[in-house]
Amino acid sequence: MANLNLRSTQERTYQAIVVGSGISGAWAAKELCDLGVKTLMIERGPDVKHLKDYPTTNMLPHEFPHRGQLTEKIKEENPVISKCYAFREDAMHFFVKDAEHPYVQEKPFDWIRGYQVGGKSLLWARQVQRWSDFDFEGPARDGFAVDWPIRYKDIEKWYSHVEKFAGVAGFKDGIAHLPDGEFLPGYDLNVVEKYFAETMKKEYGGERHVISARCAHIHGSAEAFAAQGRGSCQNRNLCQRGCPFGGYFSSNSSTIPWALKTGNLTIRPDAVVHSVIYDEAKGKATGVRIIDRLTKEVEEFYADVLFINAAALNTNAILLNSTSSRFPNGLGNDSGVLGKYVAFHNYRARVSGEYEGHAEYTTSGGRPTSGYFPRFRNVYKQETDFLRGYAAGFSAGRGVGPNTDGIGMDLKNNLLNPSNYGPWRVGSHMMGETLPKESNYVALDGSLKDEWGIPQLKVSMDYDDNDEKMVKDYIEQMTEMFTKAGFTNIQSADSKQAPGLDIHEMGGVRMGKDPKTSMLNANHQLHAVPNVYVTDGSSMTSTSTQNPSLTYMAFAARAAHHAVAESKKK
Amino acid sequence: MNRRHALRHIALISGGLALIPSCDFSKEDILAAYENLKITATQKALIASISDSIIPAGEIKGALDLAVPDFILVMVNDCFTKENQEKFTAGLEAFPEYAEKTAGKKFADLSSKEKETFLLQGIAITGDENTSEGKLLAQVGYFLSSVKRFTIQGYMASEYIQTEIIPYSLIPGEYNGAVLIADIQNTRVNG
Repeated sequence: MANLNLRSTQERTYQAIVVGSGISGAWAAKELCDLGVKTLMIERGPDVKHLKDYPTTNMLPHEFPHRGQLTEKIKEENPVISKCYAFREDAMHFFVKDAEHPYVQEKPFDWIRGYQVGGKSLLWARQVQRWSDFDFEGPARDGFAVDWPIRYKDIEKWYSHVEKFAGVAGFKDGIAHLPDGEFLPGYDLNVVEKYFAETMKKEYGGERHVISARCAHIHGSAEAFAAQGRGSCQNRNLCQRGCPFGGYFSSNSSTIPWALKTGNLTIRPDAVVHSVIYDEAKGKATGVRIIDRLTKEVEEFYADVLFINAAALNTNAILLNSTSSRFPNGLGNDSGVLGKYVAFHNYRARVSGEYEGHAEYTTSGGRPTSGYFPRFRNVYKQETDFLRGYAAGFSAGRGVGPNTDGIGMDLKNNLLNPSNYGPWRVGSHMMGETLPKESNYVALDGSLKDEWGIPQLKVSMDYDDNDEKMVKDYIEQMTEMFTKAGFTNIQSADSKQAPGLDIHEMGGVRMGKDPKTSMLNANHQLHAVPNVYVTDGSSMTSTSTQNPSLTYMAFAARAAHHAVAESKKK
Repeated sequence: MNRRHALRHIALISGGLALIPSCDFSKEDILAAYENLKITATQKALIASISDSIIPAGEIKGALDLAVPDFILVMVNDCFTKENQEKFTAGLEAFPEYAEKTAGKKFADLSSKEKETFLLQGIAITGDENTSEGKLLAQVGYFLSSVKRFTIQGYMASEYIQTEIIPYSLIPGEYNGAVLIADIQNTRVNG
């Protein structure tokens, strides 16, 4: 086999390099390739090819030795990742196991990672609610973090751009703080969810909405997606295995094959990025240094433009490890804010209950989404003793179960002829905005290194008083709303789960107007190194309550077009 | 593949019946496939017989026809905490004596009907954890209810049930959020 290091510099030079193949990286790569840019996409994990590398996608329940359950051995070896709802027997292979990539928890942090081509886009919950100016103006209005350098009008057309390509099912709900988008037919709420939505409208004077959550699934005609080789969602709800229909959006099923078809994309899997190379003489970044995951050989790749989209915390880690005499504290870190003001979503609380009404109904078939409560606290003005607010998931369901009493032929016949309809079960979980603070940070550990000799990341994030008040308010409000709807047996729980399990960690490389207090400008470029773009979770100035992935996609597309426009100016 | 793995592999493909000699020749050999449990062939046969009573064969196959005893042991071996494994095996060990004492004869000598009645009572027992006798009773109850739970799971999630009797659909169809229960027509399956 040829020694890769002997290849000429020219062979290792591209017009653009994208670090990361997850939701934001692959979007950047796809846009660059569409615009004719020869792009190298670097991924630290192994390749996962659409269809070919989904080993469990068509397996039946009985084909899993433990019917989906985790074994004690796996749970013992993986106390962190085992907490993730999707880490089960059918999709374990797409998650990072605890022992493989250690990190330092200065405070408890459940870091959920997917190291492979496609990253966590294979595993995500596919919820795509737009952000609005109620989010982008949040820090300025409420006096935390720094002002976002952009507003909804800057990103609106990019939301449309990515929605049309990814495929988003939803309804035009006309809610000012949850803007409508380019929607495929939505998934209807069920009879009890509709009842709850109507009750809320009546009880709260039209100020509290329950809608069908917008999700990145192809619903209705798939004609517009045929060119991508994708078909309609089949409601399997087995998304985390990889979808043989390409029914939901992932890098693997959508942006990556599309970019490959342009002939402009090269993928380099198994390449752990060590650092970004900064050329002092040229005053810009010239490439990245990687370590082969398997051979441990060091190699360099070069390009005029770099996108660092390694997922929120790993982008922080790469920039922190990219030191030079110009940037002794990490690339572009003149301000000292790199790694700081990280935040996440507060997913701690749940409220559940039962409903005796609509007893004549049940549901059939499947759907890939459920109900959604857009934020209703402090939207137009400050009205509680905490800042910001929370969104919430909401769903009602009614299954038919067998009667498992008894034994022998009675039991057998009961099992084979299920007819036990219990009451409707209703449930909700909170998704709270947290406030980025200097005291919540990530940094490189001074002594511990990973398998590739790269310093381990130290994570120090915690809840604060604002979050505690929000948990309390969510439980009170949701309990009140459930009560008004006539739900019974209402239970609430605060899991006290550590940050991280929400899988919405953000910040550390935040956007801002002022280079003294932020890392990135309004075009997603490092203030001090404008040929480096960052459009993943690390770039977020504040967290909103909405799931962030759609916004990363829109940022990536917007930044890619900016980069190409800039290069044409020269 | 080293020898231990090779042996384990043989044990697995033969349904756990391959025996690896243990060092203590005074006792019955333990089944190597379930390395966290110390289960003998006799004990496995007992579990099989209990699962047969829980879901017997009839017009359609029963638990014994579908290797459910293996599934039970795989789940207890792999997915139970050590503490629950101990409770399970303690209950298993105590079961023969409990049966003789309670039913007046060996479990194997009971008629099918007697077995059912006896097991129904056994599954429901709870013991006072503070006395040694109560603790033993609780362990027997735990053992029996675990066997019942895994018999149901292993049976219902078996290839036979999920492909021939109540076919599992990988494609469940479009969602309908308001189905009138009265309109649902299911063909009755007779066990």
